[in-house]
Amino acid sequence: MTDTVQAGRRKFFDLARPSRQHLLGYILIAPAVLMVAAIIVWPLILAIDLSFQQVKIPRLGGASRPFSLSNYTWLFSSQEFWLACWVTLKLVVVVTAGSVAVGLSTALLVNNKFKGRTVARLGMALPWAVPEIIAVVIFAWMFDTSFGLFGWLAIQLGFADQMIPWVSSSTAAFWAVAITMVWKGFPFVSIMCLAGLQSIPSDYYAAAKVDGASVFQRFRWITMPLLMPVLGVTLVLTLLWVFRDFSIIKVLTGGGPLRSTQTLSIMTYDQAFQYHNFGRAAAVGVLTLVICIIASLLMLGRRSKSIY
Amino acid sequence: MKRTFAQSLALYATVIFTLLMILFPVYWLVVTALSTTNELYRLPPTFWPTDPQWDIFARVWAAKPILMWLWNSMLAAVGSVALSMLVSVSAGYALSRYSMRGGATMGLFVLTAKMLPATLLVIPLFSIFSSFGLIGSLWTLVLAHSTMIIPFATWMLKGYFDTIPKELEQAAMVDGCSPIGAMVRVVLPIATPGLAATALYAFVLSWADYAYARTFLVNSPDNWTANLGITTMQGEYVTYWNDISAASVFIALPIIAIYLFLERYLVGGLTAGAEK
Repeated sequence: MTDTVQAGRRKFFDLARPSRQHLLGYILIAPAVLMVAAIIVWPLILAIDLSFQQVKIPRLGGASRPFSLSNYTWLFSSQEFWLACWVTLKLVVVVTAGSVAVGLSTALLVNNKFKGRTVARLGMALPWAVPEIIAVVIFAWMFDTSFGLFGWLAIQLGFADQMIPWVSSSTAAFWAVAITMVWKGFPFVSIMCLAGLQSIPSDYYAAAKVDGASVFQRFRWITMPLLMPVLGVTLVLTLLWVFRDFSIIKVLTGGGPLRSTQTLSIMTYDQAFQYHNFGRAAAVGVLTLVICIIASLLMLGRRSKSIY
Repeated sequence: MKRTFAQSLALYATVIFTLLMILFPVYWLVVTALSTTNELYRLPPTFWPTDPQWDIFARVWAAKPILMWLWNSMLAAVGSVALSMLVSVSAGYALSRYSMRGGATMGLFVLTAKMLPATLLVIPLFSIFSSFGLIGSLWTLVLAHSTMIIPFATWMLKGYFDTIPKELEQAAMVDGCSPIGAMVRVVLPIATPGLAATALYAFVLSWADYAYARTFLVNSPDNWTANLGITTMQGEYVTYWNDISAASVFIALPIIAIYLFLERYLVGGLTAGAEK
């Protein structure tokens, strides 16, 4: 009698027992859950709470202001917010399209068999390894208003008859940001597409050739359908990156001139740390997050699991 | 498939042309660093300096605390990677091996965490850190970068553990190993390449951060990271483009070196999550 009870007790702490195994699972996952709760979930709740308070600079533990929708009503009635939405949308479309176009074509190019392919692949994706701030330093100089390379090139190629004011012209500033972001963003698309291309069995192409399919037909009917899952996920990840990027725009243009490059991310940051309107900033940030979630769910639909 | 000579020629020409276009900005960074100020402020631009100023690297190294900036970036990166890996390895293992209630919720949460804009999270983190008196300390970066690293590292590691057959641990446990022993002595050694890839990718993420460093450390120059330090060299009226380019070379080199040596693993890591 006592023996069995003791045996039962010992087994209670025996994590190897099959019925206790899930317990070990919870123990192993606990530190991560606690960390995430402390540094992501709690701050996120604070931010959402903040967005419903009329508050300038919040103090933790300070008296919480009454619930108010004023931040959101201010947002929806302010021109600045709608302009930021429009700029974000333009930038997301232009940069995502540009990155996918360049990324996919470079991936197709280095997917060919040729000598030095490894080196070519390394080179194609090198911008991925250049930190964003360094990329901005390079492009800020190339887009210099007086002595920048791009302005000079534009004159030589006949696109402009004088140096382009990249910093003070709204259109030029937008394109400067977009070009910098495409250079930094396409290698990721290229890496992912190349991995996708390599998982397509070469028999498919051989069979299509036997049947007399042309290069374009093979691309249209074999490569594209089989690449679509990878391309879809990559597209959404690139889109999210543009949506949330801070450093490239902040250092290159600061969101100017006249807010023409101010995306929702930049607006969130500036409202908080330049104008000290933490409540409004939190409201913009929360809306950005909601838009990100809705956009990616819409684009991926039921396949959204593959983004993990 | 055999190519004709003309086709080969066209292929090589396209590859070389594309590579030149893509790598030109990096080349231009080096040229800018090596040019004299006179050459920089002249049109047409000089595509290779007549008298390369190799000593610019020594001059900038002496004039700016670049070593200190690099050291701070390194501390923040090593700290956040160590902290995140510690919790992510066991969490990734648990998600891969045990079916738990809430597993799907975890997945959804990782998805949301990936979409979380740093510019939103930086707001509550700022008030939390200031009430703990942490503003200006590198610990802020260790914690803030962990918010970026833990979600993706956990999921990436789960993917790696999924590729390791369960039978290995079962065999170890039959031989008398405890479940923890089986994980530490059998699974982790096999997963080393995956662990290394995840840690390196996390390192690159931390090294690239600017938003958090700018917000938390801007008033403590002794703790500036490399990226923050570089931006302070951009003057409001005059920027010494050769100086800032030379400093940029120092800061980009560590990451480019990691990339060149470990490209295979990094690419494996990047694509691991997406192909599932």
